[in-house]
Amino acid sequence: MSSLITTLTESVRYRGREAQWSFNFHRVSGLATLLFLTIHILDTSTVYFFPSLYEHAIAIYRNPVFMVGEMALVAGVIYHGLNGLRIILFDLYPHLWTESRQRTFFWVAFVGTIVLWLPAGFLMGRALLYYSFGVTLLGVPGG
Amino acid sequence: MSATAHTAPGRPLAVPARNLETWAWLFMRWSGVLLIPLVWIHVALQDVIVGVHKIDLDYVALRWAMVGWRVYDVALLAFAFAHGVNGLRAVVDDYVHDQRLNRAIKWGMFILWAVITAIGGVAIIGGVRK
Repeated sequence: MSSLITTLTESVRYRGREAQWSFNFHRVSGLATLLFLTIHILDTSTVYFFPSLYEHAIAIYRNPVFMVGEMALVAGVIYHGLNGLRIILFDLYPHLWTESRQRTFFWVAFVGTIVLWLPAGFLMGRALLYYSFGVTLLGVPGG
Repeated sequence: MSATAHTAPGRPLAVPARNLETWAWLFMRWSGVLLIPLVWIHVALQDVIVGVHKIDLDYVALRWAMVGWRVYDVALLAFAFAHGVNGLRAVVDDYVHDQRLNRAIKWGMFILWAVITAIGGVAIIGGVRK
Protein backbone atom coordinates (compact mmCIF):
# COMPACT_ATOMS: atom_id res chain seq x y z
CA MET A 1 0.00 0.00 0.00
CA SER A 2 2.83 2.41 0.83
CA SER A 3 4.35 1.72 -2.60
CA LEU A 4 1.01 2.68 -4.15
CA ILE A 5 0.94 6.00 -2.27
CA THR A 6 4.56 6.66 -3.23
CA THR A 7 3.65 5.94 -6.83
CA LEU A 8 0.69 8.32 -6.78
CA THR A 9 2.64 11.19 -5.24
CA GLU A 10 5.86 10.66 -7.22
CA SER A 11 3.94 10.32 -10.50
CA VAL A 12 2.97 13.94 -10.00
CA ARG A 13 6.24 15.22 -8.49
CA TYR A 14 8.92 13.40 -10.45
CA ARG A 15 10.02 15.40 -13.47
CA GLY A 16 10.51 12.65 -16.04
CA ARG A 17 8.85 14.68 -18.78
CA GLU A 18 7.72 12.84 -21.95
CA ALA A 19 8.86 9.37 -20.90
CA GLN A 20 6.98 9.65 -17.60
CA TRP A 21 3.86 11.23 -19.12
CA SER A 22 3.73 8.51 -21.74
CA PHE A 23 4.00 5.81 -19.04
CA ASN A 24 1.37 7.44 -16.82
CA PHE A 25 -1.13 8.00 -19.66
CA HIS A 26 -0.60 4.45 -20.88
CA ARG A 27 -1.22 2.99 -17.43
CA VAL A 28 -4.22 5.15 -16.57
CA SER A 29 -5.87 4.66 -19.99
CA GLY A 30 -5.24 0.91 -19.80
CA LEU A 31 -6.66 0.52 -16.30
CA ALA A 32 -9.69 2.71 -17.08
CA THR A 33 -10.40 0.75 -20.26
CA LEU A 34 -10.08 -2.56 -18.38
CA LEU A 35 -12.54 -1.33 -15.75
CA PHE A 36 -15.05 -0.38 -18.44
CA LEU A 37 -14.41 -3.55 -20.44
CA THR A 38 -15.13 -5.76 -17.43
CA ILE A 39 -18.47 -4.01 -16.83
CA HIS A 40 -19.20 -3.99 -20.56
CA ILE A 41 -18.71 -7.76 -20.98
CA LEU A 42 -21.12 -8.37 -18.11
CA ASP A 43 -23.77 -5.87 -19.28
CA THR A 44 -23.70 -7.24 -22.84
CA SER A 45 -23.96 -10.78 -21.46
CA THR A 46 -27.41 -9.92 -20.09
CA VAL A 47 -28.77 -10.24 -23.67
CA TYR A 48 -28.47 -14.00 -23.18
CA PHE A 49 -28.75 -14.49 -19.42
CA PHE A 50 -31.27 -11.76 -18.41
CA PRO A 51 -32.57 -10.05 -21.59
CA SER A 52 -34.99 -7.84 -19.64
CA LEU A 53 -32.05 -6.22 -17.81
CA TYR A 54 -30.24 -5.17 -20.99
CA GLU A 55 -32.39 -2.10 -21.63
CA HIS A 56 -31.76 -0.95 -18.03
CA ALA A 57 -28.01 -1.27 -18.53
CA ILE A 58 -28.17 0.71 -21.78
CA ALA A 59 -30.33 3.37 -20.09
CA ILE A 60 -27.47 3.95 -17.61
CA TYR A 61 -25.01 4.46 -20.49
CA ARG A 62 -27.38 7.05 -22.00
CA ASN A 63 -27.00 9.23 -18.91
CA PRO A 64 -25.05 12.40 -19.88
CA VAL A 65 -22.41 11.71 -17.21
CA PHE A 66 -21.70 8.32 -18.77
CA MET A 67 -21.68 9.84 -22.26
CA VAL A 68 -18.92 12.23 -21.17
CA GLY A 69 -17.13 9.20 -19.72
CA GLU A 70 -17.58 7.45 -23.07
CA MET A 71 -15.92 10.39 -24.85
CA ALA A 72 -12.97 10.15 -22.43
CA LEU A 73 -12.86 6.37 -22.95
CA VAL A 74 -12.55 6.81 -26.72
CA ALA A 75 -9.64 9.23 -26.22
CA GLY A 76 -7.99 6.73 -23.86
CA VAL A 77 -8.43 3.85 -26.31
CA ILE A 78 -6.91 5.89 -29.17
CA TYR A 79 -3.94 6.99 -27.04
CA HIS A 80 -3.31 3.50 -25.63
CA GLY A 81 -3.23 2.10 -29.17
CA LEU A 82 -0.93 4.74 -30.62
CA ASN A 83 1.43 4.70 -27.65
CA GLY A 84 1.30 0.91 -27.68
CA LEU A 85 2.56 0.98 -31.27
CA ARG A 86 5.56 3.02 -30.08
CA ILE A 87 6.30 0.43 -27.38
CA ILE A 88 5.91 -2.48 -29.82
CA LEU A 89 8.08 -0.82 -32.47
CA PHE A 90 11.02 -0.14 -30.16
CA ASP A 91 10.70 -3.42 -28.21
CA LEU A 92 10.70 -5.60 -31.32
CA TYR A 93 13.32 -3.48 -33.15
CA PRO A 94 15.59 -2.32 -30.31
CA HIS A 95 18.32 -1.15 -32.69
CA LEU A 96 15.97 1.72 -33.66
CA TRP A 97 15.78 2.93 -30.05
CA THR A 98 17.13 6.38 -29.29
CA GLU A 99 16.03 8.74 -26.55
CA SER A 100 15.16 11.51 -28.99
CA ARG A 101 13.00 9.11 -31.04
CA GLN A 102 11.14 8.09 -27.89
CA ARG A 103 10.47 11.74 -27.19
CA THR A 104 9.30 12.37 -30.76
CA PHE A 105 7.02 9.35 -30.75
CA PHE A 106 5.40 10.43 -27.50
CA TRP A 107 4.33 13.63 -29.26
CA VAL A 108 3.23 11.68 -32.34
CA ALA A 109 0.98 9.56 -30.08
CA PHE A 110 -0.24 12.63 -28.17
CA VAL A 111 -1.04 14.81 -31.18
CA GLY A 112 -2.31 11.78 -33.12
CA THR A 113 -4.77 11.08 -30.30
CA ILE A 114 -6.13 14.62 -30.47
CA VAL A 115 -6.41 14.54 -34.28
CA LEU A 116 -8.17 11.15 -34.34
CA TRP A 117 -10.36 12.00 -31.36
CA LEU A 118 -11.69 15.33 -32.72
CA PRO A 119 -14.12 13.89 -35.31
CA ALA A 120 -15.21 11.16 -32.85
CA GLY A 121 -15.57 13.74 -30.08
CA PHE A 122 -17.66 15.95 -32.35
CA LEU A 123 -20.09 13.16 -33.26
CA MET A 124 -20.39 11.97 -29.66
CA GLY A 125 -20.69 15.50 -28.30
CA ARG A 126 -23.41 16.23 -30.85
CA ALA A 127 -25.31 13.12 -29.74
CA LEU A 128 -24.91 14.16 -26.10
CA LEU A 129 -26.32 17.64 -26.78
CA TYR A 130 -29.17 16.25 -28.89
CA TYR A 131 -30.36 13.41 -26.67
CA SER A 132 -29.65 14.88 -23.24
CA PHE A 133 -30.38 18.57 -23.78
CA GLY A 134 -32.45 18.73 -26.99
CA VAL A 135 -29.84 20.91 -28.69
CA THR A 136 -29.34 20.41 -32.44
CA LEU A 137 -25.82 21.28 -33.58
CA LEU A 138 -24.73 20.88 -37.22
CA GLY A 139 -27.28 18.19 -38.05
CA VAL A 140 -29.10 15.42 -36.21
CA PRO A 141 -27.21 12.33 -34.93
CA GLY A 142 -27.55 9.47 -37.38
CA GLY A 143 -29.29 11.80 -39.84
CA MET B 1 18.75 -23.28 -24.58
CA SER B 2 20.22 -19.91 -25.26
CA ALA B 3 20.99 -17.79 -28.27
CA THR B 4 22.93 -14.61 -28.81
CA ALA B 5 21.58 -11.37 -30.17
CA HIS B 6 23.52 -8.45 -31.56
CA THR B 7 21.30 -5.51 -30.72
CA ALA B 8 24.01 -2.86 -30.47
CA PRO B 9 27.73 -2.55 -31.17
CA GLY B 10 29.83 -4.30 -28.57
CA ARG B 11 29.30 -7.32 -26.41
CA PRO B 12 26.71 -9.86 -27.66
CA LEU B 13 23.94 -10.47 -25.14
CA ALA B 14 22.93 -13.95 -24.02
CA VAL B 15 19.19 -14.37 -24.61
CA PRO B 16 17.70 -16.68 -21.98
CA ALA B 17 15.32 -19.52 -22.84
CA ARG B 18 11.69 -18.49 -23.24
CA ASN B 19 9.55 -18.90 -20.16
CA LEU B 20 5.96 -17.95 -19.26
CA GLU B 21 6.93 -14.30 -18.78
CA THR B 22 8.50 -14.17 -22.24
CA TRP B 23 5.29 -15.50 -23.77
CA ALA B 24 3.20 -13.04 -21.74
CA TRP B 25 5.48 -10.21 -22.94
CA LEU B 26 5.17 -11.33 -26.57
CA PHE B 27 1.41 -11.80 -26.20
CA MET B 28 1.04 -8.16 -25.09
CA ARG B 29 2.84 -6.97 -28.22
CA TRP B 30 1.12 -9.19 -30.78
CA SER B 31 -2.33 -8.87 -29.24
CA GLY B 32 -1.69 -5.12 -29.08
CA VAL B 33 -1.13 -4.97 -32.85
CA LEU B 34 -4.28 -7.04 -33.44
CA LEU B 35 -6.38 -5.00 -30.99
CA ILE B 36 -5.79 -1.72 -32.82
CA PRO B 37 -8.08 -2.65 -35.75
CA LEU B 38 -10.36 -4.84 -33.58
CA VAL B 39 -11.01 -2.26 -30.86
CA TRP B 40 -10.89 0.88 -33.00
CA ILE B 41 -13.43 -0.46 -35.52
CA HIS B 42 -15.68 -1.65 -32.68
CA VAL B 43 -15.50 1.72 -30.90
CA ALA B 44 -15.89 3.76 -34.11
CA LEU B 45 -19.01 1.77 -35.06
CA GLN B 46 -20.79 1.29 -31.73
CA ASP B 47 -19.79 4.39 -29.76
CA VAL B 48 -19.27 7.00 -32.46
CA ILE B 49 -21.29 6.15 -35.60
CA VAL B 50 -24.26 4.19 -34.20
CA GLY B 51 -24.19 5.57 -30.67
CA VAL B 52 -25.63 4.26 -27.42
CA HIS B 53 -29.08 5.78 -28.13
CA LYS B 54 -29.59 3.51 -31.13
CA ILE B 55 -28.38 0.36 -29.37
CA ASP B 56 -30.98 -2.04 -27.92
CA LEU B 57 -31.78 -5.77 -27.90
CA ASP B 58 -33.00 -5.66 -31.52
CA TYR B 59 -29.78 -4.01 -32.63
CA VAL B 60 -27.64 -6.68 -30.92
CA ALA B 61 -29.84 -9.44 -32.37
CA LEU B 62 -29.53 -7.94 -35.87
CA ARG B 63 -25.75 -7.69 -35.57
CA TRP B 64 -25.34 -11.21 -34.21
CA ALA B 65 -27.56 -12.58 -37.00
CA MET B 66 -24.36 -12.21 -39.04
CA VAL B 67 -21.97 -14.95 -37.97
CA GLY B 68 -18.98 -12.82 -39.00
CA TRP B 69 -19.78 -10.28 -36.29
CA ARG B 70 -20.04 -13.06 -33.70
CA VAL B 71 -16.59 -14.32 -34.67
CA TYR B 72 -15.37 -10.71 -34.50
CA ASP B 73 -16.87 -10.23 -31.02
CA VAL B 74 -15.43 -13.52 -29.73
CA ALA B 75 -11.97 -12.42 -30.95
CA LEU B 76 -12.46 -8.99 -29.37
CA LEU B 77 -13.56 -10.52 -26.06
CA ALA B 78 -10.72 -13.04 -25.95
CA PHE B 79 -7.88 -10.72 -26.94
CA ALA B 80 -8.99 -7.45 -25.31
CA PHE B 81 -9.84 -8.94 -21.92
CA ALA B 82 -6.73 -11.13 -21.77
CA HIS B 83 -4.59 -8.13 -22.78
CA GLY B 84 -6.23 -6.00 -20.08
CA VAL B 85 -5.97 -8.56 -17.29
CA ASN B 86 -2.37 -9.35 -18.18
CA GLY B 87 -1.66 -5.61 -18.08
CA LEU B 88 -3.21 -5.47 -14.62
CA ARG B 89 -0.90 -8.34 -13.61
CA ALA B 90 2.08 -6.13 -14.45
CA VAL B 91 0.54 -3.31 -12.40
CA VAL B 92 0.04 -5.65 -9.41
CA ASP B 93 3.71 -6.68 -9.63
CA ASP B 94 4.69 -3.00 -9.53
CA TYR B 95 2.77 -2.13 -6.38
CA VAL B 96 2.15 -5.32 -4.36
CA HIS B 97 5.48 -6.57 -3.06
CA ASP B 98 4.18 -8.89 -0.36
CA GLN B 99 4.63 -12.33 -1.95
CA ARG B 100 1.57 -13.99 -0.43
CA LEU B 101 -0.73 -11.07 -1.15
CA ASN B 102 0.69 -10.78 -4.68
CA ARG B 103 -0.03 -14.46 -5.36
CA ALA B 104 -3.50 -14.27 -3.82
CA ILE B 105 -4.45 -11.25 -5.94
CA LYS B 106 -3.16 -12.90 -9.12
CA TRP B 107 -5.05 -16.13 -8.47
CA GLY B 108 -8.19 -14.09 -7.83
CA MET B 109 -7.62 -12.20 -11.09
CA PHE B 110 -7.05 -15.43 -12.99
CA ILE B 111 -10.32 -16.91 -11.74
CA LEU B 112 -12.24 -13.69 -12.50
CA TRP B 113 -10.68 -13.55 -15.95
CA ALA B 114 -11.70 -17.15 -16.72
CA VAL B 115 -15.24 -16.72 -15.34
CA ILE B 116 -15.96 -13.38 -17.08
CA THR B 117 -14.48 -14.59 -20.38
CA ALA B 118 -16.69 -17.69 -20.15
CA ILE B 119 -19.79 -15.60 -19.38
CA GLY B 120 -19.10 -13.33 -22.35
CA GLY B 121 -18.34 -16.27 -24.64
CA VAL B 122 -21.56 -18.09 -23.71
CA ALA B 123 -23.56 -14.90 -24.34
CA ILE B 124 -22.08 -14.34 -27.80
CA ILE B 125 -22.57 -17.97 -28.82
CA GLY B 126 -26.02 -18.22 -27.18
CA GLY B 127 -27.16 -14.92 -28.69
CA VAL B 128 -30.09 -12.68 -27.80
CA ARG B 129 -32.93 -14.47 -25.98
CA LYS B 130 -36.35 -12.90 -26.29
